[in-house]
Amino acid sequence: MSPALQTPDRPASAALRSFEAQWRTRPADSLSPVREEAMQRFLKLGLPTMRDETWRYTNLRSLAAQSFVDAPRMTRGEIEPSASLSLLGGTERAATVLVINGHPALPTADTMINGIEINTIGEIARLDPKSLLRFIEPLSDADQQRWSLLNTALFVDGLYLKITTQVATPLVILHVATGNGVNNVAYPRVIIEASPGSSATIIEHHVAQGEHTPLSNSNTNIALGRDSQLEHYRVFATGGGATHIDSLNIHQEQGSRCKQFTIALGGGVVRATLEGHMNQPHASLDSYSLLVGHENRHVDCVNIVTHAAPDTRSRQTARAIASDSSRVIFNSKVVVNAGAARSDSQQSSRGLLLSPTAEIDTRPQLEIHADEVKCAHGATTGRLDPDMLFYMLSRGLDRDTAQSLLVYAFLADVLTGMSVPTARASIENALIAQLPDSQILRKFR
Amino acid sequence: MLKISNLCARVAGKDILKGVNLTVNAGEVHAIMGPNGSGKSTLAQVLAGREDYEVTDGSVTFEGRDLLALPAEERARAGLFLGFQYPVEIPGVNNVYLLKAALNAKRKAAGEPEVDAYDFLTLIRQKMKFMQMSESFLTRGVNEGFSGGEKKRNEVLQMLVLEPKLAILDETDSGLDIDALKVVSAGVNSLRDPKRAVVLVTHYQRLLDYIVPDQVHVLSGGRIRKSGDKSLAQELERRGYDWVLEAQVA
Repeated sequence: MSPALQTPDRPASAALRSFEAQWRTRPADSLSPVREEAMQRFLKLGLPTMRDETWRYTNLRSLAAQSFVDAPRMTRGEIEPSASLSLLGGTERAATVLVINGHPALPTADTMINGIEINTIGEIARLDPKSLLRFIEPLSDADQQRWSLLNTALFVDGLYLKITTQVATPLVILHVATGNGVNNVAYPRVIIEASPGSSATIIEHHVAQGEHTPLSNSNTNIALGRDSQLEHYRVFATGGGATHIDSLNIHQEQGSRCKQFTIALGGGVVRATLEGHMNQPHASLDSYSLLVGHENRHVDCVNIVTHAAPDTRSRQTARAIASDSSRVIFNSKVVVNAGAARSDSQQSSRGLLLSPTAEIDTRPQLEIHADEVKCAHGATTGRLDPDMLFYMLSRGLDRDTAQSLLVYAFLADVLTGMSVPTARASIENALIAQLPDSQILRKFR
Repeated sequence: MLKISNLCARVAGKDILKGVNLTVNAGEVHAIMGPNGSGKSTLAQVLAGREDYEVTDGSVTFEGRDLLALPAEERARAGLFLGFQYPVEIPGVNNVYLLKAALNAKRKAAGEPEVDAYDFLTLIRQKMKFMQMSESFLTRGVNEGFSGGEKKRNEVLQMLVLEPKLAILDETDSGLDIDALKVVSAGVNSLRDPKRAVVLVTHYQRLLDYIVPDQVHVLSGGRIRKSGDKSLAQELERRGYDWVLEAQVA
């Protein structure tokens, strides 16, 4: 299909032209009308730049100068099973669903694992496209949703998970990014629907395999039904050169509770956006972000949490660590809509700088349109506390050990929030491997 | 064991110690008393190796070694222990982990193997019982949420486990009620030994009723103004510090 696309206001970048070229090769499907709308808007608005509010700290100019082609479609057999790909290890009782460059590798189109119905989005689009639209619409022109528009236009397939009961065992979605050359791009898409009263833990683990890692523009939509509970993890553990842009949108109905963990352990550039909407009373969202920068890594995390109904509650806890010449950004915003009385929100972000050339930027924001609300925020960034360090040295600990323990202690608030012990242990392991003096830290676990 | 000669030190650009002379022999307990701001805590921190306290003159030897040339961690491994006036809280670092790491660092420096996990737990339980500390100390972060008295007990517990040759206790008695004071004093007394020495930094004579010192020194204006036996402490209690300082001027 090749509808007449509007001419963009500014000269189209190479990236934009390549996305448009991809669009022209996409076959029509039942979602074509909404995809076309998304593509038109994306082309009109263009790639976000540092002039856009939520992109002030991340420069995409070099990305914009590249041309991208679809990452190859690969089968399960072409992915070598390796220990590094497994977050929960071989012995854990967690089911894993494999997604390669956005394409689900399911044994059959329709699978049920431990009480979670698993379908491909392609299959649902064929059978019941209307049921998908409520996760995709309305489209947003907000700059933090720019890459979501592109994902909506161009995703080829994805996973649709429906949680129908109370599920005890965590489900791991293993996203493998693997390219066959430079300038591949993948559009992983996941939709998670939690039925009323259901509960589950879902871990999205992003890894890369092989020499070339595609640009990943991933998107996850979560809808929590009345009184449902979800613990959701997104763990970014791709290689040093990779660029990953992830958008997570959460919509919550009455009394639902969501615990969300964003863990950035890898990648050259990681941009993780979370938009949370508490649409009905007594919904609650706990967001935890653990952002680790080392070498030249750039990690940009943006949270926008909207209290759209009375008696809603949100907590945002972010811990950022930057060593070497890395840069870590955490911007969070709480919006309390008119009428969302008795909203209760807290934002706590703390940064730890481990090198003079590292940088951390945190900016908590509040936008309140209702009376009678309780909103607190605090942000601090500093170096290791010299009093703590001296105390430990004065007990005979060597400097490396003392520093490592303090770094690790700094992360404790996020780690202790994890209710899946196996996930916590695995994330701790992966995390420790990224910290200075990891050998020392291992001894203390 | 410890010989301090003409020690001068500066903190944040201000001269605090202005020529301290003090010799502590093995087997002795010394008390350093003095008014607020006299430099008592600075002396303790300088001896323990605090880096942002600048030594401008003088020397300190510990068992014949140049103490000032050693970083803090090596002083600790050589057998020096500082009981902090304000023990810092370190949330997220387990109290017992720290203690075990400290003990192993000391053992490693002495060429001994790491302590066996079971033996260590047995040892620490026994010392905790002696210090009348609850089991919850095993699982908590270092000093995290401890009351003032609990922190001081924890300092003495660490001292008992590490068995230093020289313990410098900086106002370990402050903020303690009488029962806690007895427990802490018993802890310190249990370590008295012909091969060890203790330096007590204190404001009040009260502690010295329980830990009887061999020598008492008055530190004021960055210098030791007067030294004597335990009766000096009683005299200070009765007459305050002014007469010592006036006597100096005269």
